[in-house]
Amino acid sequence: MEKLIIGHFYPDLLNLYGDRGNVLALMRRATLRGIEVEVKRISIGDDVKNGDIDIGFIGGGQDSEQNIMADDMKNVKGEVIKQMIEDGVVFLTVCGGYQMLGQYYEEHGGNRIECLGALPHYTKGEKERFINDCIYEIELNGQKIKVAGFENHSGRTFLGEGEKPFMKVIKGHGNNGQDGTEGVVYKNTFGTYSHGSLLPKNPVITDMLLELALKRKYGEDYVLSELSTEAEDLARKQVLEYIEGGVKAAQ
Amino acid sequence: MGLKAPAKAAALITKGILRVMGRGATTMPGKVAIKLCPDIISKCARGQKIITITGTNGKTTTTHMITSMLRTLGYEVITNVSGANLASGIATTFLCEKPSKGADPDKIVYVLETDEAAFARIAGDLQPKVCLVTNLFRDQLDRYGELTHTRDLIANGIDKTSAKIVLNADDSLVASMGKTRSERATYFGINLKTMIENNTLHPNNTILEASSDAAFCPECKVRYKYNARSFGHLGDYVCPACGFSTPSKRFELTYDASGNPSDEGFPFTVTDTDNGKVCDMNLKIAGSHNLYNTCAAVSAVTRFLESEYGSEGEKTIFEQVCQAQDNVEAAFGRMEKIAVGNKYICILLVKNPVGLDRSLSFVAQSSDADSLMLVLNSNTADGKDVSWIWDVDFESKVNDLPANIYVSGQRYGDMMLRVSYSGRTVDGYGTLEYATTLLKGALKDCPDGKCIYILPNYTAMLDLRGRLVKELKLKEFWKE
Repeated sequence: MEKLIIGHFYPDLLNLYGDRGNVLALMRRATLRGIEVEVKRISIGDDVKNGDIDIGFIGGGQDSEQNIMADDMKNVKGEVIKQMIEDGVVFLTVCGGYQMLGQYYEEHGGNRIECLGALPHYTKGEKERFINDCIYEIELNGQKIKVAGFENHSGRTFLGEGEKPFMKVIKGHGNNGQDGTEGVVYKNTFGTYSHGSLLPKNPVITDMLLELALKRKYGEDYVLSELSTEAEDLARKQVLEYIEGGVKAAQ
Repeated sequence: MGLKAPAKAAALITKGILRVMGRGATTMPGKVAIKLCPDIISKCARGQKIITITGTNGKTTTTHMITSMLRTLGYEVITNVSGANLASGIATTFLCEKPSKGADPDKIVYVLETDEAAFARIAGDLQPKVCLVTNLFRDQLDRYGELTHTRDLIANGIDKTSAKIVLNADDSLVASMGKTRSERATYFGINLKTMIENNTLHPNNTILEASSDAAFCPECKVRYKYNARSFGHLGDYVCPACGFSTPSKRFELTYDASGNPSDEGFPFTVTDTDNGKVCDMNLKIAGSHNLYNTCAAVSAVTRFLESEYGSEGEKTIFEQVCQAQDNVEAAFGRMEKIAVGNKYICILLVKNPVGLDRSLSFVAQSSDADSLMLVLNSNTADGKDVSWIWDVDFESKVNDLPANIYVSGQRYGDMMLRVSYSGRTVDGYGTLEYATTLLKGALKDCPDGKCIYILPNYTAMLDLRGRLVKELKLKEFWKE
């Protein structure tokens, strides 16, 4: 029986916008396929070594709690996370977690917060906050698929050399509201501004992450078994219709 | 400054016009009056006896309890309509609600539910005698963002008054407001032994632990150590760095952890640890979170009466307040069961993760639950972000939830998926237009004497109320 170990980073600090749903989604779509899943909570005071986990998840939090986490991430777990990213461990990072992987975060007032520097992107804070239901488009195996999400961020992120956008913005602001990009892909690491939670309503992304992790662990020949997406599709369809204005706004 | 009279006249005219138009008049008259006379609240509040209730959860229920208890104790209480808790709603209350004719002016009390941010702005104008802070949980994030920020807003408001402050000791954020204000702070909370027993008897079984708010001391940035928990981040905590810990409580609630607080009439005691007096009480509005609300109300009313009477008669005040609690009745949207033939529906407003978590626990433990209906909207007043439903630990309760689960609201797709990811399938779903059809079906299959629990968020509740009246022919039962 295959087994995946999910490392949930700082779940007691980065727990703000339903990002727990992403971990639940990975667990559910793996266990329904008969894959054993273990979730390790990796917070301040917990050790993690390269090789301990197959999928890493880092969410977003309140500013004050992100600051608590940032120190630990830079000074304690930073080198291990960098190594894991370079070695192709699968990572999903959302909002604050995504920003933290980059070079720096320049606050609106000009104060510059150094980030982990695992990836070349950087973020600038602006006064106006992007708070919106969003629709993105992702291209997977030659197919373009609509993704439903929610953004809530005042940072504008700009990708650097070697980084590709994760998705294209159809509705909402994405990375910075300027270039139509949303999130980042580097090796097997993904960053996004999308809450929602992202994965439950968008099972193609869940399955992509699972397959990447399983191929890395059990060999390139590993094929993820078929699994119905009926409930997820129904939810996504309804939410996309709502976001696109197809549903009468009651009240 | 002769503007108070014209402002009041304008408010009353506005109220009259709105009533004629068939509109609710709970905030607009105050809005008009504030425009005409910006210091209208301080003018109206001058010389009045005022109790404010603020905090993220339980404000309306606690306000309702305090109002009821003070009325039983012979006071003429003026209070704001549930939800009208911003400056405009409070100004409306002052201008449009009148004490009954012949009421003893000395016995008039204003009991005001006050929004957290509004409290910071108007506390100085109100000059309340007692400020109660129930708790601070993560609420609509697109509104305030940071919990510590909300705490600081409330603390700023408190500092503009000389009020007695009544604080939840088990909530580290709320209790921390008493650190530099100890001479006027009174704490309430649940007895540590009760909490420990409860934790032992009801260990949390979940596939993925939900993280609580405020896990870390905001000052030291060190994780609190908990000796016991009640729910969310409420519990008996200590910061290993600065030593800040659950303050000792003057009013302490104790109950038998093997009992079921989802039962109406659930027995418990409240002890006044200042003098060791113990009062036996029964829970008038069911649900474990209402143990806190009841204890908060008893504490606030006791402190208020003590400030009224000084040492005179002080000895029996606490007992009198506890007795008055026995007359509290459930109010609509707050655990009141509405009879539909021989069956019942019960609406519980849920607006944030801890509220939904508590309500799900309540329904899971309710012996009369036949069906559950979750209704999720995402209008501005609800918070447009619905991702918080994923932070709620459905997983640990799902097997105890009723046999039938329905979902509705603008975001029924999100809620349907939330339920299905917890391992249950929904028995019906659709937008609000379809909600009463779902309900009718559920009522048809519901055995006599059983109840359908409906958990809507704010605008979903407003919408649903209208439909229940129109489409299920229920009378307008929520008017208080």
